[in-house]
Amino acid sequence: MFDRSNRRQFLRGVGAAIALPALESLAVAKAPQSVALPGTTATGAPLRAAFITFPNGAIPKQWWPANTTGALELSPTLAPLAAIKHKVQVLGGLDHQNALPGNDGAGDHARGGAVLLTGARLNKSATDLRAGESIDQAIARRVGSQTRFPSLELTCDDVRKSGACDSGYSCAYQFNVSWRDASTPMTPEASPRAAFERLFGAGSHGERRDHFTRRQAEQRSLLDFVRDDARAFQKQLSSGDRVKLDQYLTSVRDIERRIAATEKFGQSPDPKSETPTGEPGSDRNRIELMFEVLALAFETDSTRVATLMLAHDGSNRTFGDLGLTAGHHDLTHHQNREDWIANVAQIDQWYVERFAWFLQRLDQARDLDGRTLLDNSMIVYASGNADANRHSHENLPVILAGGGGGTLRPGRFVQHGAKPMTNLFLKMAETMGGKELRRLGDSTGVLADV
Amino acid sequence: MPSIAHVSAAVVLVVFIAPALAEPVHFSEQVAPLLEQHCFDCHVHGSAEGGVKLDDAAELATSEGDGKIDPQLWWRVLRQVRAGLMPPEGDKLSAKSQATLEEWIKGEAFGYDPARPDPGRVTIRRLNRFEYQNTIRDLVGVDFPTDENFPPDDTGHGFDTLGEVLTVSPLLLEKYLDAATKIIADAVPTGPLAADAPERERQRHDRFFPRAVPDSPAERTAYAAEILSNFTRRAFRRPPDSETLDRLVGLAELTWTTPGATFESGVAKAIVATLASPRFLFREEQTEPADENQYPLVDQYALATRLSYFLWSTMPDDELFQEAAAGTLRSNLLGQLARMLADKRSGELTRNFVGQWLQVRDIDTVLINSFTIAMRDDPASAELQERRQRLRQLFRREPETLTPAEREELDQFRKERRAAEEKFAKFDLTWEVRHAMRRETELHFDYVLRENRPLTELIDCDYSFLNEGLAKFYQIEGIEGLDGNEMRRVTMPAGSHRGGVLTHGAVLAVTSNPDRTSPVKRGLFVLENILGTPPAAPPPNIPPLEDFPEAADGKVISLRDSMAAHRSDPLCHSCHARMDPIGLALDNFSALGIWRDKDRGEPIDPTGELATGEKFAGIDELKKLIVERHSREFITCLTEKMLTYALGRGLDYHDVGMVDEIVERVVADEYRPRALITGIVESAAFQRTRN
Repeated sequence: MFDRSNRRQFLRGVGAAIALPALESLAVAKAPQSVALPGTTATGAPLRAAFITFPNGAIPKQWWPANTTGALELSPTLAPLAAIKHKVQVLGGLDHQNALPGNDGAGDHARGGAVLLTGARLNKSATDLRAGESIDQAIARRVGSQTRFPSLELTCDDVRKSGACDSGYSCAYQFNVSWRDASTPMTPEASPRAAFERLFGAGSHGERRDHFTRRQAEQRSLLDFVRDDARAFQKQLSSGDRVKLDQYLTSVRDIERRIAATEKFGQSPDPKSETPTGEPGSDRNRIELMFEVLALAFETDSTRVATLMLAHDGSNRTFGDLGLTAGHHDLTHHQNREDWIANVAQIDQWYVERFAWFLQRLDQARDLDGRTLLDNSMIVYASGNADANRHSHENLPVILAGGGGGTLRPGRFVQHGAKPMTNLFLKMAETMGGKELRRLGDSTGVLADV
Repeated sequence: MPSIAHVSAAVVLVVFIAPALAEPVHFSEQVAPLLEQHCFDCHVHGSAEGGVKLDDAAELATSEGDGKIDPQLWWRVLRQVRAGLMPPEGDKLSAKSQATLEEWIKGEAFGYDPARPDPGRVTIRRLNRFEYQNTIRDLVGVDFPTDENFPPDDTGHGFDTLGEVLTVSPLLLEKYLDAATKIIADAVPTGPLAADAPERERQRHDRFFPRAVPDSPAERTAYAAEILSNFTRRAFRRPPDSETLDRLVGLAELTWTTPGATFESGVAKAIVATLASPRFLFREEQTEPADENQYPLVDQYALATRLSYFLWSTMPDDELFQEAAAGTLRSNLLGQLARMLADKRSGELTRNFVGQWLQVRDIDTVLINSFTIAMRDDPASAELQERRQRLRQLFRREPETLTPAEREELDQFRKERRAAEEKFAKFDLTWEVRHAMRRETELHFDYVLRENRPLTELIDCDYSFLNEGLAKFYQIEGIEGLDGNEMRRVTMPAGSHRGGVLTHGAVLAVTSNPDRTSPVKRGLFVLENILGTPPAAPPPNIPPLEDFPEAADGKVISLRDSMAAHRSDPLCHSCHARMDPIGLALDNFSALGIWRDKDRGEPIDPTGELATGEKFAGIDELKKLIVERHSREFITCLTEKMLTYALGRGLDYHDVGMVDEIVERVVADEYRPRALITGIVESAAFQRTRN
């Protein structure tokens, strides 16, 4: 059951009240310097990148600003961003050519998922997974060692449908936007409680550090054994099966690295807020709690890279609080019926409203250089479909929020004119200090004028 | 059933059985003329309708032996021909020609050798979260709720048992480490048993430590090795190798020799490590050492494991382990199979296989707006529905800005809505109703399986499984003696249209939209999961329906009419002509699975015809048609689904011959499920592996 008071306390008990030991010690270590470290702003504060994905595109007419380019004028769908408009830029003309059918036929929602952050052409198969490394993982590989967690993967989808997924694609494509490598999706966490406890430890405020340390010690005590065991086991297997053990061994190494990192950064932070509930009840609550966990992770500098799926592409979620009884995906195939189009636009705006709440939350938190967390972040808000009625993947709805530590020029609407979405990702990698990332999926260069 | 007898003469019944031909089919004499006559016009030399280009066979026809045959392409051809979809109407193959063509495709294009069938290759399988939970319960006696602790597993081909798709991520491994720690903390004692310990505590202790802990270090090590050897034999589902065992004993020793630690805590630590080991999380398979065959038999431990996860979704029990250790499992396979099916753990096959095949698992969570659906079919409430948008606007405004008239409008609406809510309360798809719906389908399958009834009863029969609540929800009257909660088998009253999974609430609800029925989804469901003839995926860049027919007088367009408009587009026609009629035949069942005669006040017209030409007047006749005319396709479809689930891999062209043989057995044995399960278990794919 949804516990309203728990949610309110969790959402209220944060912000200014939070203790930031990790950040404060960091500030001493990283005084302003001329050449920023990877994942760091010029003023020495942490620089963060997050990728928030929403399902089923957006009704173009209501999404795009009325002006063609220039200072941002908010469209009806983007209206909830009003209070934070000067810290947001809307990007037009970004495409995912590899999400178009090509020779692969139908399956636009599967591609809308796994292509979104990889830009890769997916292998159309129910079993043989081949996508590509996603941008969050590419950035995490470069800056992940500077925080307790190299990256966070979160989702607000907590149930799966049985039966085949989209048109011959494995469900793994549709439900994972973050990919460690071509065949390894980074399973996202769906429980706000589990996500919070993984970051800060179980129990109430004051007990969490002990729990966190104990859990970590227990994990570490097993790693030597399972690594040796997995290596010995792998030698007995055929080559096809070795891939599976590679995934296992890579995961072992990731956990080892993460444990080493958390130890390096000393005591884990312990937010004053209550632990969020594991069963948020409504989708709205789940989304807000997940956003709050993500904000806390950034605020405590527990990680600098994250993905959050508000829902998988093709989601057929219903919106009782909008008075809508039909499912989102069903509605997007609107047959040009005006009432359906209006309903979808309402849903699009509903998602933007949640996102706006998150941005304001980040903008109220002070970073150690005196700027806001939002100023020192790059938050992408995007969908893998442009117009879901047509299953198009060109001119995708994309927002880039935050100041990127003073490197971005928000408050604008910029038409980029048919550039790969991955060019934006290269720009973000570059800003994060990952200049050597030269290619991602179908990228052709680093996006200019951002 | 006049309409069934009314089958057009041109229809070739695809139930025809390809007989085993004594002589190999001669391509240029027997097959090439068939292809030339029926196929090449549209499928060679630049014309490749439907993306099917048979140039390879055309080349073969002119220069015998040179053409390279693409088995994937011919697999597609075989499916189209068997489904009666190709060649098109008016140019059908005779039964004999079809048999000849099938024989050639299987023998030559697929290279199928019935004496040495290719078993295929299964990627090593990780336990999914259902299997993990069951295995932990049987292994250490702890019920660990994996649905709360593990993320959902990815699926392929509709099942969560596929090795390739069951990946491992850092998050999942972390969860495995945490789960192992937590489970063993509950299961394994970490200190000696107190003299006055209660019986329960004693049992828990003895389960892992059957003897007193010896004093000397050497004896302790030997005792730990004995405990861990027994435990890992079960946890890894085969005897551990000495190296692994040594490492585990080493870990136990390292733990118990730290100051203040107990022997028990050391062993517990090693047991935690066992549960975190990939040898526990993955199902290791070895082959019979003496088998040098290209397709060797899997060894008896692997066979025991394949059996137990297929039928029970859990680890082998002691008896299976004993048979595997003695090497007698293979010779006593049928005896074990009978025992396993009689065991209540076989309910997991129903829960997990049927739960995914018929998607009834989803009824627990499917989004359904009961109230909207109920109102939709109630003419008096339709107007109330229409006013909702207007009233929502009023709701959103600050109360003080409303005019008195608006306020009154709002109050009136609230009153009406409350009344409607009371009126429709009985339609609420509560947790109890959802649960009963799922059980209805599960119990039906279970009954057919246990009583060895014909599998066709899953499609058409005169009984179902209900409790009082579900009967009320379905609004079925005239059933005596139902219990409030307990589900029982009841004969359905005449005219109820119930009986068979297509009329089960769970199937009807999960194939609906949240607010109304979806004949397309239901039709697709039947094609994919019952008849095994899924339509091609929709074409990319589907043109939006620009001219959706809105009646000028504002009258509601019936679903049937709007779908007919859709089908009139040639791009949509070929598939929707197959899906829609089947879905419309089911439209007498609302999205809640309740019988109705009208949709939004308009009478429902459930008549239609199958792609193969047989006409039906509604769901009753459709069910009969499937059973009487298409039972072979149904059994083939079920066999393919169950094989996919059992093997943990997608099927390929080289499996076609094996599937056909299993289907043959089932049909010959009057559609008995035992024949199906025995056929699967005895198949090369289940018994063997590729070397």
